[in-house]
Amino acid sequence: MAKQEIKKSCCRMCGMLCGIDVNVEDGRVTEINGNKAFRANRGRICIKGSSGVTQLYNPERLTKPLKRTENGFVEIEMEQAMDEIAEKLQSLQADYGTESVGVWKGEGIGFAQQEGLARRFIHGIQSPNYFSNDTQCFAGRYIAYNMVFGTWPCADLRNTNLAVMWGTNPPASHSYWTQDINDARDKGAKLIVIDTIYTEMARLADLYIQVKPGTDSILAWGLIKQLIDQKMVDNEFVSKFTKGYDELEAYAQTYTPEYVQEKTGVTPEQMAAVIQHYRQAGKKIANWCGTGLEHQANGVNNVRSVGYIDALIGAVDVPGGMMTVEGFGARSLEIDIEPSLMSKAIGREQFPILYGMRGECHTLLLMDQILSGKPYPFKGLVMTAADPVLTNANTGKVEEALKALDLLVVKDLYLTETAKLADYVLPAASYLERSELQYNGINQTVMLTEKVVDLGHQSEYELFKGLADRMGIAELFPWENEDELNAWLIEPTEMSLAELASHRDGYQFKPLTYEKIHRALERGEKPFNTPSGLIEFTSGHLEAIGMEPLAKFQDAPEYLGVEPDEYPLVLMTGARKVMYFHGRYRNLPQLEKVMPKAQVEMHPADADRFGLNHGEKARVISAYGAIDIHVRVMSAKEIVPGAVQITHGFKNANVNYLVGDGITDPISGFPALKSVPVRIEKIIN
Amino acid sequence: MKTVSIDRSKCVGCRNCEMACAFARTGTTCESQESNIKVNHYLDERVLMPMTCLHCSEAWCMSVCPAGAISRNADTNAVVIDEDRCAGCKMCMLACPFGNIHFDNEKLVSRKCDLCDGAPKCVEHCIAGALKYEDMNDNAAALRCKNDHKLIAQAL
Repeated sequence: MAKQEIKKSCCRMCGMLCGIDVNVEDGRVTEINGNKAFRANRGRICIKGSSGVTQLYNPERLTKPLKRTENGFVEIEMEQAMDEIAEKLQSLQADYGTESVGVWKGEGIGFAQQEGLARRFIHGIQSPNYFSNDTQCFAGRYIAYNMVFGTWPCADLRNTNLAVMWGTNPPASHSYWTQDINDARDKGAKLIVIDTIYTEMARLADLYIQVKPGTDSILAWGLIKQLIDQKMVDNEFVSKFTKGYDELEAYAQTYTPEYVQEKTGVTPEQMAAVIQHYRQAGKKIANWCGTGLEHQANGVNNVRSVGYIDALIGAVDVPGGMMTVEGFGARSLEIDIEPSLMSKAIGREQFPILYGMRGECHTLLLMDQILSGKPYPFKGLVMTAADPVLTNANTGKVEEALKALDLLVVKDLYLTETAKLADYVLPAASYLERSELQYNGINQTVMLTEKVVDLGHQSEYELFKGLADRMGIAELFPWENEDELNAWLIEPTEMSLAELASHRDGYQFKPLTYEKIHRALERGEKPFNTPSGLIEFTSGHLEAIGMEPLAKFQDAPEYLGVEPDEYPLVLMTGARKVMYFHGRYRNLPQLEKVMPKAQVEMHPADADRFGLNHGEKARVISAYGAIDIHVRVMSAKEIVPGAVQITHGFKNANVNYLVGDGITDPISGFPALKSVPVRIEKIIN
Repeated sequence: MKTVSIDRSKCVGCRNCEMACAFARTGTTCESQESNIKVNHYLDERVLMPMTCLHCSEAWCMSVCPAGAISRNADTNAVVIDEDRCAGCKMCMLACPFGNIHFDNEKLVSRKCDLCDGAPKCVEHCIAGALKYEDMNDNAAALRCKNDHKLIAQAL
């Protein structure tokens, strides 16, 4: 009789951290199911989640460290790899300065404590240079929401009367929100979707508004003007809790319905319908922005201007609105570094807010610095679970820069496109092979995941501890193993590891509460964690560095300034497909068969205009590069005319060869992934 | 008895149900054509229609099968096809008024939903909550409550 057990973990096939029940038979994982008792996903999982079994036992997984030699990669022992990597890092630091090396964490494997460990290690060896995928996804919105609300708020979708989804498609990117939105719809809530594409989410919408790429903020300002003109602003809330209303009111006046229509394509009637929905929903309104708004030259201000709407209505810290959630109170792994060292962080001078709020360096500037050696040489990079060859803008430059490094270490499950450029490749342990703390902000839960199986792979903790021990900073990683580390992390919460482990369906550390800002005000405390302590229409962070404090629509989308004869179409990228997660899972056979080839998705009128047929291959060309890719002619209602969409992460038609790193959001430094000027040509054999 | 209930107003057409069914059946692919549950999308009308076997109390597929290959599972109440007995005559496909039986062109037998022995993968993978595995009387009760709440909201 086989020994059967169910182990509890959190899925890390994407970033949503759904609760999972992992079936283990005689020590081998046989099936992954949704955890019915987990508050977030309530027993449901997506196809990525259940495919975690295939990933765990994928024959393509790396099992031994690889070292680049004149004859290509050779397998070496882990001890040798760690010794050589540590030695090389030390010699680079001795020759070029401690800041000449860095770490880069990606999303590919799902280490919860990975980011903290990476930051602790790199600061421990006296370099300020921490990089991550977050500077192309998340950090822009994090900055925007923190500028406005002083926190990363959560949309209270389950309790809302009106969910307004701006450039986000939860069925592909935030799966359990789909369930939350449907639960709210069961109670009568309405849904508005604002997007260039008629997405899966848009199919549910009571009102679908198609905008031209990069113009969302113009629509947001148009709506703000309507809220003001139609006396829908909550004056009491605004006077008590916000800063900069007069400037906002004055600036909004330009955004007449006619102007908005000209720029965005949204008619005055559609805008009136949105306003009518706002009016009917009271304060239970949640506007939420996805990467569609973030991946623009005006990204941060796109998101801020949408956040203004919730603030003006007073839909903040109320049921069904923008929640201000509380933390668990666990320790941080971060350690301080000297200001003189911090000043050398790559991108800190150009994007001080990004570094100030996120402590992150800028990956696009890193490539320039590797290649130029200016302002100082950068020589060595340790990367975990990141695959920037597929996922960073301007792939051509990424490849050139990574090849130019004296040391590139890539730790991953697979020999990824990025790992192929490495000097050392280290096999990684996946999320099912580790025990870690996973949080869910919206539900205020924490879960200590079970180590489901041990396949003998080096954990993330072992990597950084191993390097730290060899490089003379052993005292920073004193814990024997990850259990000890986890115990240290939660010590201030007065909860023991054993107690936390008894809540394998997730432990809600604090009940969800509302109206906290009123109580803070009564106690004489600052209700919001912004420089003024208020919701900021005019950002104190921007005032401090002499930038325009109001979220004005600063830059036209990149494509508007380009010669339309040369590049008549605007390319949007960064939108995900249900079965993939960025550059991942094309090597899981059952998923690869669903969408084996990258596609350029286009409007039928544009296909006609360029003489293209569905299914054939075409060449898409930008100022940065060209790719050959299959054409998918969509229905006329599914995509805005004049724009094409290509999903990233396909190595044989890697869209990031087309995406530039030249035009970036001036606050976050994000590349304009959703507005790349391109042309498309028929391939004639 | 439980069955798969469908609330089409919640379906987003993400096709996680199809992918999960296809993989549960084949173990090698998530391609929609291998699935026993099907989601039809009528874009112009803005309608999505997930559809799978209803496991009819009077199952015409079962009565018409000349090979006696279709039976009812006593535990789950599922109407199931024994592919070893199936002659591939396709009478069941013609008999089903809903088009919920499909033909396996490789094995040359009919195939249909078997409720995954009581833990349907399509329901587990329905991230929108449009599919439920429930007793239809519970489904009806929930529907009544939902309508009650709408009326209450209007009255208040």
